[in-house]
Amino acid sequence: MPTDGTLPKAPADITIGESLERSGVSRRDFITLCSAVLATAPMGLALTEKVKTAEQLANTVAKAKKPSVIWLHFQDCTGCSETLLRASRPDLADLILNVISLDYHETLMAASGYQAEKCLKDAMAANLGKYILVCEGSIPTKDSGEYLYLAGQKGIDRLKDVASKSAAIISMGSCASWGGIPSSGPNPTGATGVDQIISDKPVVNLPGCPPNPYNLLGVVLEYVVLGKLPALDQYGRPKFAYDRVIHDHCPRRAHFDAGRFVKQFGDEGHRQGWCLYKMGCKGPGTHARCSTVHFNEMPDCWPIGIGSPCVGCTEKSIAFKVPIFQTIDIHGVTPPDTYPLINARVGSVGTVAAAIAGAVAGGIGTAAWMASQKLPDTPAPEIKDDKKSEGGQ
Amino acid sequence: MELTRREALKKFATGTGAAVATAGLTTIALPGSANAEVEFKEAPKNAVSLLYDATRCIGCKSCVAACAEANNLQPDTSLSGGLHQAPADLNAFTKNIIKLYKPADGRGWSYVKQQCMQCVDPTCVAGCSFFALTKRPEDGVVWWNASKCMGCRYCEISCPFHVPKFQWEGFNPKIVKCEMCKERLAVGKQPACTSVCPVQAVVFGTREQNLAEAKRRIAENPDKYYQNKIYGETDGGGTQNLYLSHVPFEKLGLPDLGTESIPSKYMKWQRKLYSFLVVPTVLYVTMVGVIRGNWKEHKHHMEEEQKKTGLRPQL
Amino acid sequence: MTDRWERDVPVYNVPIWTKPFKVLMSLGGIALLLTLYREVVGLGPASGMNDAYAWGIWKTFNVMTLTGLGSGAFAIGISAWLFKQSKLHTVMRIALLTSFLAYLSGLIMIGIDVGRPWNIYWLVTPWNWNPHSPLLEVMFCMPAYAMLPLLLENVPPVLEYFHRNKPGTREFVEKCEKIIIAGYPFIVALAYILPAMHQSSLGALMLLAGDKVNPLWQTPFLPLLYVWAAAYLGVCCVAGTLLFTCLMWKRPYDMDVLVLLNKICAWLVGTWILFRMLDIVISGRLGFAFSADIFAGLFWMEMLFLGVGLYMLIDSAKLRNARLMFHAHVLIGVGGLLYRFNPTTLAFQPKPGAFYFPSAMELLISIGFVSLAIAGFCVAVKLLAILPAPTYTWFQMEAHESKLKALNRDEKVGELVTANNFSD
Repeated sequence: MPTDGTLPKAPADITIGESLERSGVSRRDFITLCSAVLATAPMGLALTEKVKTAEQLANTVAKAKKPSVIWLHFQDCTGCSETLLRASRPDLADLILNVISLDYHETLMAASGYQAEKCLKDAMAANLGKYILVCEGSIPTKDSGEYLYLAGQKGIDRLKDVASKSAAIISMGSCASWGGIPSSGPNPTGATGVDQIISDKPVVNLPGCPPNPYNLLGVVLEYVVLGKLPALDQYGRPKFAYDRVIHDHCPRRAHFDAGRFVKQFGDEGHRQGWCLYKMGCKGPGTHARCSTVHFNEMPDCWPIGIGSPCVGCTEKSIAFKVPIFQTIDIHGVTPPDTYPLINARVGSVGTVAAAIAGAVAGGIGTAAWMASQKLPDTPAPEIKDDKKSEGGQ
Repeated sequence: MELTRREALKKFATGTGAAVATAGLTTIALPGSANAEVEFKEAPKNAVSLLYDATRCIGCKSCVAACAEANNLQPDTSLSGGLHQAPADLNAFTKNIIKLYKPADGRGWSYVKQQCMQCVDPTCVAGCSFFALTKRPEDGVVWWNASKCMGCRYCEISCPFHVPKFQWEGFNPKIVKCEMCKERLAVGKQPACTSVCPVQAVVFGTREQNLAEAKRRIAENPDKYYQNKIYGETDGGGTQNLYLSHVPFEKLGLPDLGTESIPSKYMKWQRKLYSFLVVPTVLYVTMVGVIRGNWKEHKHHMEEEQKKTGLRPQL
Repeated sequence: MTDRWERDVPVYNVPIWTKPFKVLMSLGGIALLLTLYREVVGLGPASGMNDAYAWGIWKTFNVMTLTGLGSGAFAIGISAWLFKQSKLHTVMRIALLTSFLAYLSGLIMIGIDVGRPWNIYWLVTPWNWNPHSPLLEVMFCMPAYAMLPLLLENVPPVLEYFHRNKPGTREFVEKCEKIIIAGYPFIVALAYILPAMHQSSLGALMLLAGDKVNPLWQTPFLPLLYVWAAAYLGVCCVAGTLLFTCLMWKRPYDMDVLVLLNKICAWLVGTWILFRMLDIVISGRLGFAFSADIFAGLFWMEMLFLGVGLYMLIDSAKLRNARLMFHAHVLIGVGGLLYRFNPTTLAFQPKPGAFYFPSAMELLISIGFVSLAIAGFCVAVKLLAILPAPTYTWFQMEAHESKLKALNRDEKVGELVTANNFSD
């Protein structure tokens, strides 16, 4: 990182590969990053569907141009930025800053005050309609947004202004996705997510408190290389990271299935790593991939992994609403279809059988018709009782 | 020649006399005919019972595996492509099965355990010609006797729960259905399914015990069970195996049968008509009388024909 | 041509081994071979029956439905003996023969259909019976009927054959005939009470199926409707057979008898339709006849066949028109058979998702045994005096036989001549 207080201004059309080279990031470290991306986004990311090895991904990514990213903070705790920096091998911060051109970030940039705002205005002007806006933190809307002022502007207005000139918006974290902690009852500031305010630009929600940094990386890389955002679910969350619940991939699932539950923190079951469902784990209702992609790039470094029940931080209906130690309704999970139906399907028509039946029915019908045509159609005369029956003829 | 009133009365008297004689004979000869209505109105005192609570069942299918093992049944792997036991329905290899009711929107689903309901007044027993299927008086278990069965499959046609199944392959076919593991009962053990259920979704007890337990559960959880109803308490005349559910019973394949058993509801007139064979005997004797009367005229007619044609009369 | 039926005469001028007969016998032969296969491999591979439809066409069609056609002896017998329609005595034998063959074929089908036939012997131990089982009643009553009264009533034509053609047996035959005459009223009354019992029990079989039978058919009066349907099916089978055989073998038909059969059939069908409709309306099931499903369709099909058939019966009797009569009997037959078949299979819905169609082998076995019955009819009618005809036909037959005998003698003389070289 440069130490003169300014961010190096990369030309708009520098490629990621060139940028990495200039920063002294080795190709080996970059390939390691790409293999991590490949492993963590096996499905749902169009980018990773097209390549088979980390090298291929690295080559593809290296050729892409660095997009401009403007990162705005609202009612946040900056945890979502912190999560990006929690990486050590390789230095994710470094790499992220080389994959994207982070033109405005209040926490990371060296500038402050008027210089910072000038950076913002210049970045917006230079990349008009092309930059990605990343929002962190909820936006207060009560009392016409009176509860947040940034650089003398209301937060809600700042959002609308910057968003209007962006190409796409990423809501980083639960606060920006649906309101997060500030929105929990009684929600005094009227905190809402970005997509409740901006409706004319594509918004990608990455809920989580904080979300896994690879969620952001996956979205950004897909956009950078292929020029489009990944497939989203009905809540605007990328399917590659949010299409399954924790419960479905939980390492402790076998304990759940076998009925081995922790009853008290510190009991024998807890020491054995048993299922935390009865301690209030929200895994069965929480869409996220924490159970497969852990945090801080350390295995088992995630809530359930360290023995703490999931609090459902990505889910608007659960996080900061349902008490942490309250069990949720397990019937929200539907069973698989490998059970027999109540009414089994049975029986069918054989072709030969149908042919035989048809032939017989048709044959009998035709024979009957033909016979009937030979019978006289005229009224039968009266029978005269003469003595015909006597003797022979 | 017309039937005069005297002759008619005479014939009727003969008929009634013969009917009484027949009634006496049938009482001796045919079992159960002394009772015009041989129906089981109540479960036996020590009727055994399963109580299945669909709200507890987790669909683990341990009961299916245990049943197959305890009854020496070859596992049916049809739904799993030959990998593991996954029958599609009760059949010749499956006396007990777990099925899933899952509506299209995925809400309000339920597992259901299917096996013989051990009815209080079984339809299969009512139809079985030689009592190959009978209900034991000591505990009410409905069991199949191979030495009596002729394989007519009337039990399959009549059972409202579609329980008895026939072995369609081979030349020594059997009827296969749950018999409450009566060999295990004989040595004081529980049926295999109840002894392995991990969540006590199906429990074994006498019918009285299980009814009381079911009522207790309903009382303690007022809105949990569908219509606060125990299926089998009175359904179809009552069944020994009882069901609790949070979804409508029809969805689980348990039909709405009313409170009367099928034999007593549908066979009332048949039983009345044939009791002691009175009606058939009276009819028979009357007909004999009438035919004898008409026979004389017929014989006369035949003799005339013979005179006319010279040919032997044709009987 | 029409003439009075006065006597039963064998069909004497037609050989037994005709082409249609050969076809019937080969179908029968196929059925016998397939039956062997069924006995070895079991019911499943040999038929399309499954656990939902545990009864296939062998039971539901050959037994429960076709024996309705075989109730001619029952219906016509009652008309002749209890209601004194003496004109019908000449057609008694054909009714008895068709019934006997239909029952024989049906009983054999029962034996083939049950899965453990070696346990049928329990039938002879009444203390092991379930007296309330309609199936037991059928299993006992049908063989009893076929082997006792029906068989005995079919014996006189055989006795007559021996009396005519084997003079050495004449004494024995006359003794047998005396015994039969002595027991006649008892045998004949048995021949009416037994089918009344088991034809109604065939209907009672489906009572225990409860709600699996569509409400348009399921009624406590099912046994009554079945035996009533058997009655008119028997009449129309005999009448249709009479028309057909007289056409085939160029016999004159007696329009007066046919008109009488029409009348009996019409009364039976008319009152049956009325009773059935009343039963449906009074028990509030008429709504089901107007639902948009296949069952309402089947119901109206039955009613159509029977209704149009009834109209044709009445009309053809008035017009004395043989072709119209034949149409009428075919329609009534189809309608009645459909009625008896519906609650067992087409209107029988054990549960959703269940379906049944007979397999090719099952159909061939069923067809084969019916063919054998028809073939048996053809043989019997040619050897024994079954078909009704005017008396002069009998004399024609005797003339034909003596001509044949003369030819035979001439041929034999011719052979002798050539054998002994008496040529020149």
